Amino acid sequence: MKKGQNMLEIEGLTKYFGGLAAVSGLDMSVKSGEIVGLIGPNGAGKTTVFNLITGFLRPTKGRVIFESKNITAKKPHYIAEKGMVRTFQATNIFPDLTVLENIVLACHLESKIGFWETVLHTRSSRFKEGDILRRSKTILEMVGIEAMADITAGTIAHGHKKLLGIAIALAAEPKLLLLDEPLTGMNAEEVSKTMGVINRLWQSGITVLLIEHNMRAAMSLCQRIVVLNFGKKIAEGSPEEIRENKEVIQAYLGAGEYAA
Amino acid sequence: MNKRILIWILSCGVLIVFMFFIPFLFRGPYVTHVLIFTLMNIVLASSLRLINLSGQLSLAHGGMMAIGAYTSTLLIMKLGLSSWMALLLGGFFAAVIACLVSFPFTRLRGMYFAIATLFLTAIVVLTAQQWRSLTGGPLGIYNIPRPDPVIIPGILNITFASRVDFYYLVLIIMLVSLTILYAIGRSRIGLVFRGIQQSDSLAESVGINTAGFKVLAFSIGCFFPGFMGGFYSQYMSTINPDVFGFLPTLYILIYMVVGGSEKFAGPIVGAFVLTILPEVMRPLKQFQPFFFAGVLMLVIFLMPEGIVGLPKRSKKVARMLFEKRTKHA
Amino acid sequence: MSIDVLAQGILNGFSAAGIYILVALGLTLVLSIMNIVQLAHGEIYMIGAYSVYYMFVSLGLNFFLALAISVLLVGGFGILLERLFFRPFRGQPDRALIISIGLILILQNVVLSIAGGVPRSYLSPFTGVLHILGLSISWERLIIVVIGLSLLVVLFLFIRTTKTGQAMLAIPQDRDGAALQGININQISAVAMFFGCALAAIAGALVAPLFSISPTMGSFALMKGIAVIILGGLGSLPGAIVGGLILGLIDGIVPVLTTLYIANLMGFATIIIILLFRPQGIWGHE
Repeated sequence: MKKGQNMLEIEGLTKYFGGLAAVSGLDMSVKSGEIVGLIGPNGAGKTTVFNLITGFLRPTKGRVIFESKNITAKKPHYIAEKGMVRTFQATNIFPDLTVLENIVLACHLESKIGFWETVLHTRSSRFKEGDILRRSKTILEMVGIEAMADITAGTIAHGHKKLLGIAIALAAEPKLLLLDEPLTGMNAEEVSKTMGVINRLWQSGITVLLIEHNMRAAMSLCQRIVVLNFGKKIAEGSPEEIRENKEVIQAYLGAGEYAA
Repeated sequence: MNKRILIWILSCGVLIVFMFFIPFLFRGPYVTHVLIFTLMNIVLASSLRLINLSGQLSLAHGGMMAIGAYTSTLLIMKLGLSSWMALLLGGFFAAVIACLVSFPFTRLRGMYFAIATLFLTAIVVLTAQQWRSLTGGPLGIYNIPRPDPVIIPGILNITFASRVDFYYLVLIIMLVSLTILYAIGRSRIGLVFRGIQQSDSLAESVGINTAGFKVLAFSIGCFFPGFMGGFYSQYMSTINPDVFGFLPTLYILIYMVVGGSEKFAGPIVGAFVLTILPEVMRPLKQFQPFFFAGVLMLVIFLMPEGIVGLPKRSKKVARMLFEKRTKHA
Repeated sequence: MSIDVLAQGILNGFSAAGIYILVALGLTLVLSIMNIVQLAHGEIYMIGAYSVYYMFVSLGLNFFLALAISVLLVGGFGILLERLFFRPFRGQPDRALIISIGLILILQNVVLSIAGGVPRSYLSPFTGVLHILGLSISWERLIIVVIGLSLLVVLFLFIRTTKTGQAMLAIPQDRDGAALQGININQISAVAMFFGCALAAIAGALVAPLFSISPTMGSFALMKGIAVIILGGLGSLPGAIVGGLILGLIDGIVPVLTTLYIANLMGFATIIIILLFRPQGIWGHE
């Protein structure tokens, strides 16, 4: 997809849980090559949006279009295969595998080994395993955790787990990378390191949509910000515009968590 | 090559050769019978572990054995197929049924999946009891023929007239089955299974068709009890609906859990210990269910990694005790 | 096949539904709402039946007295089980699952050793038949439906009005939130377990005069209970009722037309179909 075209289009996305609307009539888009931030107070529905567009939840109403294809309510693995890959806020790693195995596993798609080829363990699949190992090590280097390749993933530090989560998503060769609060629980040094990683990934050509609670980071990383509150979009624009936006300030003050 | 791996391979080799000589060391129909059942249970418990690797707990093994037993028996007795063909087809038919029901079942979480598979076992047993024209009803089928003789002029002449022949047959079946199961476990498929077990949604998010792989795990895992059901019918020459079902299914689960479901050797050890031990304690046979349940509880409470996890655990405990002592020194 | 026979089948279906609903409600409370992986629920049902049998037949107590005492005993037993076997594994469903399987073995075999495997039965304390609209309804089956309905009402009142009941519903929605609000999960688990086991015990006691009791009767109840829950929706009390009605009616009507086996098969098929097309059950959420 050429830079500047709409890679992701969300039209009228709505999700009801019982009588409660978690997301209501959301319209937004992400152009190829952009890095967009999705922010809002706790409970605004940001992760729900991620779940809806990546197939983990079925929308009550609305459409999700990725690279001109309608992917609404498709299965998550299908959407990942099409190029939209997400990370998770919690449990974002395979805890009992080593760090390297995490990536090797996540390269499942990337190796273009089909379901049946995996089953029959063809010769071509065996060659690809060598490539996958190399590629996995490269991805670990990109993210900066290659030193812990052979350590059991469940035992590494929280900050490294978050980086591993990003690496796992990378392994699936995303065209659009959805990061769900990648900086949560990190100290200042880890935050700046991770921000560097995210920036590098974006520079390398991956389109990024980012949920983040850390305002400073979101404003600094993203070209454009979309603000949600109570499941509705209340503002959209450049970081400077959003910073001045009265409704946004009100939303955060109201929730008691304004932090510039 | 890594020294540890070399030692492992050598020990396995020695063990396998030893197993070929066992009938010369331990003679007698009763002992041979126990050995045959031990090897059968090893295959059953190990195949259950394969399904478990993908994070699903299956209680379908009893039903699958029944499917395999009745299918292969009917193929032999009504259609005159060779016993070897019938064994394979029995296994495949069980796998097919498993595949079909697992599509609706994979959506079920943990315990609900387990009960759904238990349902399946119950329905299979019920069918065996009710469909008299096909299965002989509650009385079952008698006079099931022995496996077809294996004759290589001048070298082999195995007629399965003696139990020892069955022992060697099940030994070969076990070796082949364990090799297949081990290979799958160590392959990329095995890695995918373990990934799904550890985080279903994470696996989906990187493009893994978790539902498809779960169906695969369940289907492959159910082939083996199907096959062994066929073997059982040819060995015992009679089958009825009471033989398979709830209790055997639970016992196979217990072999796997007590031995240790994480490592490959776990179910092997569990099946071995828990098949031999009750025979050694024959006079107390009526307490077997309590014994099994008790051992199960003990393992879950105190050593959830099972028997094979003991070395690691006792090292831990020893270290703790040792540390306490030296602190006071 | 006459209308009478069909009507009888429908009535049988309602009383079967009553039993299934009682079992499924208890199971929903314990399993889906409190997430206590208590698969030995069927054995609780069985113990309830034996307890009432013992008191009613061997000790000659009044039926309702026997029922009341049994409910208290079995409920208390349930609290004990929860404390000993399930609390240590809260949050570890795989281990709890296996523990409960061990419990199934132990409970079944304890009863087997004490009472023997021969199925027993007792005459219903409610003999006689009600003749209405040209149909004969046995008092026994009618009482089951009546008791079942009253218990339903009691349960719903409890859930809607008491704090404990509200808490029970809140927990599956948001565990951490509930804990923060000071809801004592230990206490609520015990209460849920008491009610769940009480319902199962009542179901067992009511069913005994219709069919015989045996140490293995629990597996049947468990499977029907789970079938109802899957059908009606996990964690849903109304779902348990709807599911119970559907499966009960199938088991009541279909045997009139064909055989009991086909009825069981249909029940199984219904589950499969529901799972394929609406996996969250009739009343469930995603």
